[in-house]
Amino acid sequence: MSEENKAPEETVKPEEPAKTETQSEAPKAEAKPEAPKADAAPEAPKAEATPEAKPAAPKPAAAAKPAAEKAPEPEKEPDPRLIEAQQRLETIKGKIATKFGDAAIEEADVKKITPTLVIKPEYWVDTVEYVKTDPSLLFFYPEAMAGTDYKDKGYIEVFTLLHSFELDYDIALKVRGARDNGSVPSITPIFSGFNWEEREIYDLLGLRFEGHPDLRRIMLEEEWQGHPLRKDYVVMD
Amino acid sequence: MAIRTEELLMNIGPQHPSTHGVLRVVVKVDGEIIVDAEPVVGYLHRGTEKLAEDLQYTQIIPYTDRLDYLASMINNHAIVGAVEKAMDLEVPERAEHLRVIVAELQRIASHLVFFGTYLLDLGAMSPFLYVFAEREKIIDLFNRLCGARLTFNYMRVGGVKWDTPEGWVEEAKQFVQHLKKQMDMYHELVTGNEIFLNRVKGIGKFDTETAINFAMSGINLRSTGFNWDLRKNKPYSIYDRFDFDVVVGENGDCYDRYMCHLKEIEQSLRIVEQALDQIPEGPVMGKVPKILRVPAGEYYSAVEGARGELGVYIVSEGKDKPYRLKFRRPSFVNLQLLPKLLVGQSMSNLIAILGAVDIVLGEVDA
Repeated sequence: MSEENKAPEETVKPEEPAKTETQSEAPKAEAKPEAPKADAAPEAPKAEATPEAKPAAPKPAAAAKPAAEKAPEPEKEPDPRLIEAQQRLETIKGKIATKFGDAAIEEADVKKITPTLVIKPEYWVDTVEYVKTDPSLLFFYPEAMAGTDYKDKGYIEVFTLLHSFELDYDIALKVRGARDNGSVPSITPIFSGFNWEEREIYDLLGLRFEGHPDLRRIMLEEEWQGHPLRKDYVVMD
Repeated sequence: MAIRTEELLMNIGPQHPSTHGVLRVVVKVDGEIIVDAEPVVGYLHRGTEKLAEDLQYTQIIPYTDRLDYLASMINNHAIVGAVEKAMDLEVPERAEHLRVIVAELQRIASHLVFFGTYLLDLGAMSPFLYVFAEREKIIDLFNRLCGARLTFNYMRVGGVKWDTPEGWVEEAKQFVQHLKKQMDMYHELVTGNEIFLNRVKGIGKFDTETAINFAMSGINLRSTGFNWDLRKNKPYSIYDRFDFDVVVGENGDCYDRYMCHLKEIEQSLRIVEQALDQIPEGPVMGKVPKILRVPAGEYYSAVEGARGELGVYIVSEGKDKPYRLKFRRPSFVNLQLLPKLLVGQSMSNLIAILGAVDIVLGEVDA
């Protein structure tokens, strides 16, 4: 069903003009029209399958880009996967911002090589619905969900990993809810596969999911006091 | 005159031989037909994720043995692979080959248990005895490799703990040839059996769309005809070097899931065979720091477990212990679909459907 979609080529487009611009500054690119093509090739989502095979190609453009955006070690040769991830992040960020406005996005960053976006709770359900159904994105495989208690920052973060078979890569979307009596909207109506995951987060971290069809504890019994995965939980001896 | 009927609430488990562990299913039946079903889990919850927050990364490895206890090697692979990816560590060639060999042998052992217990559920006693004899040989190989029979604790971040004892590779090669012959016998004994076919064909059916929406992975997803195997789609370790096919089904019924298990054993044998031929000499542990400190950040990586995508999500603050460790357990996720599959089925199909979803309770409950 999903194999015969032609979307992938198109989605990268918004990125490409920016890329060619950086290249056209180099004198070589002007002279040979073939050059930018060879460099642009590894950006195509299909290239992800062989990350080992193409470290040489994107080198020229790489030097400029990550140094500006993410510069922990400017000496080190930049990872081509990281550049790819940066571009994917920009694409998706741009799309969400156009649809819902900049206010929808709280944070956007690449974690290791996964584009990661923190979405405001008000926009959470709509954004997830959008990335799932938009024909140029189609992130409709819910791969994983996890909750983390950030005690010092005062919130509990829900991490979801979505995969798009068309684009052939993952994105991570996150939402944050307050630690004390907090809640975030549930996305179980969109992804049935997150039903038990949300229940587990509710059970072990105490974050409620508004609109969840069946929000009960799942691992522990109903009478259990407290939520064990919270950082201030006192373990019984 | 109408006969008075009423709905009946029944408890299957938590102690029941066919639930393969401590799973409880509360079913509402109208006569023989299931009206409603609700799996109740958590009887084996040990809080592995909470425990891991107080453990160094190497110390977490034995805990993963106890998740999916039929496929401990693959669990080991998931956690060490996640830490290695996070730290960008190199693993020696010999260790990578050994990992692939033991992981695939483990997959075979796990699928053999599925084959045996599934038929036991359906009332066929003898296949169970046959496959356990074969599984025993794999367990013996593992025993010679690492001294354990179930909870292996074999892999380490940066390699594996033990090199092979003398003659191990030869023995493993002999076993592969032996099991190849056995597979034909299994098909002859079971696959064509009419009673068996009547119990599994067209039962417990679901389509790809449902499977994807329910986040299913592994054989449960592939049995619907969707080609998705992390060993091919997101290659990890050295799986991209081996020649093997991804087994997919057609209809997504119990029969397809049974066939996928058996065919996957054959594919795993192919991988093991190639890896045993290519295994180079050399060290089995790479250069790793004495105390593993994962750089601050978030990491997700997954391996193709025996039951589906086994993922590890690590949140690190740069210390030697994870701030948060989450296992994406395929059994837990796959089990969610069970109520949908059961409604409208007769009571006697419950065990056939549950068995084919292939769960391990140690993994469901973590």
